[in-house]
Amino acid sequence: MKHHILFLLLIAFTMLFTACAPVEDDIFTTARITVSGGNDVTITNVQAQVKLTNVNSRQVTTSADFNGASTTVEVLRGAYQIDIEGVATCQSAENVIRMRQFRCQSDYVEFIGRDVNEVTLNIIFLD
Amino acid sequence: MTNWVVTIASNADTALVEHLSLGQQPMLEAMRNPALHGPAYKTSFSQLALGIDVLHQSQAFVPEKGNGYSLPYLKVNTYHALNQRSTVWGEASYMTGKQHNVKWNSTSDYDLLQPYILADTLGGDTRRERYSISGGYAMSINRWLLGAEMLVRAEQEYRGHDPRMRGIVTDLTLRLGVGCDLMRYRLGAAIEGNIYKQTNSVAFYREEGVIPEYQMTGLGTEYSRFSGDKRSLYYDGGGLAVMLHATPINKNGFYADVTLDEHRYHRKLAEYNSMPLTDLYNEHTGATIGWKKEKGNRIALFGHFDYTRRTGNEHIGGTSDARYFPVIACLTMYKSHILETSGGALYGRGNWNINMTAGYREVSEEYVYPHRQMDASHVYCSLQGQCFMRPSDKCLLTLDARASYNANTGDKLQMPFANMNAAFTRLIQHKHQFATASYTDFGAQLRADYALKQSRYGLFAVVGGGMVLCSASEHQTSFHSSIGITF
Repeated sequence: MKHHILFLLLIAFTMLFTACAPVEDDIFTTARITVSGGNDVTITNVQAQVKLTNVNSRQVTTSADFNGASTTVEVLRGAYQIDIEGVATCQSAENVIRMRQFRCQSDYVEFIGRDVNEVTLNIIFLD
Repeated sequence: MTNWVVTIASNADTALVEHLSLGQQPMLEAMRNPALHGPAYKTSFSQLALGIDVLHQSQAFVPEKGNGYSLPYLKVNTYHALNQRSTVWGEASYMTGKQHNVKWNSTSDYDLLQPYILADTLGGDTRRERYSISGGYAMSINRWLLGAEMLVRAEQEYRGHDPRMRGIVTDLTLRLGVGCDLMRYRLGAAIEGNIYKQTNSVAFYREEGVIPEYQMTGLGTEYSRFSGDKRSLYYDGGGLAVMLHATPINKNGFYADVTLDEHRYHRKLAEYNSMPLTDLYNEHTGATIGWKKEKGNRIALFGHFDYTRRTGNEHIGGTSDARYFPVIACLTMYKSHILETSGGALYGRGNWNINMTAGYREVSEEYVYPHRQMDASHVYCSLQGQCFMRPSDKCLLTLDARASYNANTGDKLQMPFANMNAAFTRLIQHKHQFATASYTDFGAQLRADYALKQSRYGLFAVVGGGMVLCSASEHQTSFHSSIGITF
C-alpha cells in the first residue's frame, strides 16, 4: 500500500511540474518590407511612411526609415495590414529616372517568424 | 479532551465549541486533505441555516465586482462520525440574490478568470443563483487514513436589462487523500483535480442601445479584433493540486502544510468555431510551518508563505476562412504575481481565543507591450478574538470580534495614458486608487445557541457586521444574519 501511494504521489508531482505555464516571451520580430516596381520599373530610392496596423490589437507602428527600396521594422509577432505612401525614384526599362508618387497596400501579412520576415509589395503609382 | 470544553455543559455544546472554535484555525489547511478531515473533530455536528449576507461600498473598491451585494442563502452542513474508524461530512447550499453596480465585467467568477473577461462600460446590477453540494468520506485502517471528497458548484449570473450578460458556471473538484501515523506525527498527502466550465454571453434587446463588449486582456487592454459585437464565448479550464501535511497526533508539537497547484483557463469564441482567444495559467505555492500546544493553555505560533503567479497567453488569429480563424502564434502578454508572507500567534485560555497576525503582501501586474505596469504592496496586522459565554444552562453565546489595518507601503503605475481612450483611463485610475489605498477593517459577530429541552436539536441565531474604512475617503459596510437549527 505504501508503494502504491508513493507511486500515485510521484505521478501527481510529475503532472504538476510538467503542467507549468508555457511562456512565450519571444514576442517581437523583424519585418523587412520591400517596395517592388515589377519587371518594368526598378525602385532605387524611397521616401515614404510605412504604417503597420496589427490586425488583432489595432495597434499602429510607423516608420519612414527606408534603405533603398526596403525598410526594416521591429514589430510584435502577428498579422498586419500594411500601408505605404510616399515618393520613389524609379528607373524605367528605357533608363529614364523619375520621382513618382506611389502607394502600396496589403490587407493581410503574417510576421510570425522569429527571425526576419520578408514581404514584397507591388507599387501603385499615383501620378 | 481539550480544556475549554470543561466549562461547557452539554455534549451539544461540546460539539458546538469544537467546531466553531478559533483554536481550530491552525488545522484548517490540513483539513483540505480528506484523509485528515476525517479525524479532525472528536464530535459530530450538523447545522441548517437560513441567512443573508449584505455588503455595501460607497464606491466600488473593484469595479468589476460591483459596489455590494445582498445574498440570502439556505445551507446545511454536517460532520458525522459513523463509528470509531469512519467519518462522513457534507454541505449543500442554495444562494440567490443581487450583485450591485457591476461595471467593466460581463463574466462570472471575476477573481478566478481576471483579467481575461468580457466587459462593457455600462454594467448594472446582476442577479446570482448558486447551488453547491459537497461530500466526503474518511476511514482509518490501522495506522493508515484514507479519504475522498467531492465538491460541485453550479452558478448562474444574469442581468434582466441591457447589456443582458449571462454566465453559467459548472465547477467540479475531486480530492483524494491519504494519511499515515508515524511516531508522534500524522503525515498526509492529497491530490486534487478540478474541472471548470463557463458559458458566457451578452445580449442587447434594444437595437438603438448596443454598446461594444470588450475582450479584456489586462490592465486596460483589449483584443480589438474580436471585441465589439463578438459577445458569445466560453471558458474551459481546470487544474491539479498536491497537498502535503504533517500534524502532531496529540495536537502538541510542530506542524507544516505545503500546497502546490496549477490551474488553467482557456477563453474561446463560441461564434467562431471555438477559436481560442486567451489562456490563463494560475500557479500557486503555499507553505505554513508552525508549532502548537493544546495542553493547558492553547498556544500556536506560525509562519506562512504564499506565492501566486498568473501568466496570460494571447492567441493570434490568422485570416478567416468560413468563420474559422487559424491560430498563427501565441504570445505571453500578461504577467502577474502575488507574494504574501505572514507570521502570527494564537493564544487561548478557558473559553476565549485570540489570534494575531502580521504580514506583507505584494501584488504586481504587467502587460508586456505596449508596456503597462501596476504594483502595490501593503503591510498588515490583524487581531481576532473569540469568547464563549454561558448566561444560562440552555444558552451559549459566542462573540467574535476582529480588527485589522492594511497600510500601503509602495506603488508603481506605468501606463500609456496618452494613447488610451478616456473610459479605459478612468478604469485604470480607479483601480489604481483602490489597489494602493490603506484599509482599516473592524467587525463583530454574536451567535446565540439555545438547547431544546430533552432533545438533540438546538436553535441558533447569528448577527454580525463590519466596516472597512479606505484611505481613498470611501468605506464599506457589511451585515450578515442567520437563524437555524443544530443537531
